Amino acid sequence: MAVTFYLMAVLLLLSAVAVITFKNPIYSALALVFNLFVVAGLFATLDAHFIAAVQVVVYAGAIMVLVMFVLMLLSAKLEKASPFSPLYFGAALICGLAFAVTLGLEFDSGFNSAPPASDLQGTVAAVGKVLYSRYVFPFEAASLLLMAAIAGAVVLARRRYRTKEL
Amino acid sequence: MVPITHYLILALLMFSIGVVGVIVRRNAIVVFMCIELMLNSVNLTFVAFSKQWGNLDGQIAVFFVMVVAAAEAAIGLAIILSVFRAGQSIETSDAAELKF
Repeated sequence: MAVTFYLMAVLLLLSAVAVITFKNPIYSALALVFNLFVVAGLFATLDAHFIAAVQVVVYAGAIMVLVMFVLMLLSAKLEKASPFSPLYFGAALICGLAFAVTLGLEFDSGFNSAPPASDLQGTVAAVGKVLYSRYVFPFEAASLLLMAAIAGAVVLARRRYRTKEL
Repeated sequence: MVPITHYLILALLMFSIGVVGVIVRRNAIVVFMCIELMLNSVNLTFVAFSKQWGNLDGQIAVFFVMVVAAAEAAIGLAIILSVFRAGQSIETSDAAELKF
């Protein structure tokens, strides 16, 4: 169990670094697909079976297909400037490190007193029971949000034909 | 069993990589992908805490994060598409007409 976790942790970090370092956005997208699959694997190690499946179907499937589609549509050109101009990269590295350190400092406070890991199983039945009882209103609201997103995407991406001048 | 702090440190590192990506990249779609990276690291902490405390609410939160991410992908990519139509570029530094 522990070996799979550390193996996946290494793969996760390597693919995340690959996403931000590949110059070609297509390679970045493929690295991100791999990254999302590894996240699904980590969910599975935490016994979140339903979430792991949804991760693969929705994230690695639907969302990344959409991203690839737009990348291909926009004739995926290489970035003009190198992404590693030293000024940008230095600033980004400092920001990222400051961020990691700030959050990391919070670590020794409360997590050591955490209860021992439970035998919780995130099966479809268990998740569905909670989703359709306590969270039924947010669930319905989510369908409204998706509907609005569909309409918004169509309106935004539609080609605007010039109306004939009278 | 792997302790929860290891999952949290992993998520922290992944989130920081996403932050660096958002700052360093100019391609709007790659910036968008870095945001997905950050969303996923947060999802990982949600599920890790859910397992630790034996409470399914964290996994429900991940479910809703995925719904919002799907909506965000549709809208965000449509915006990138119309920005490209307006300026023939998806470099974030080229979309600066409103800059004073």
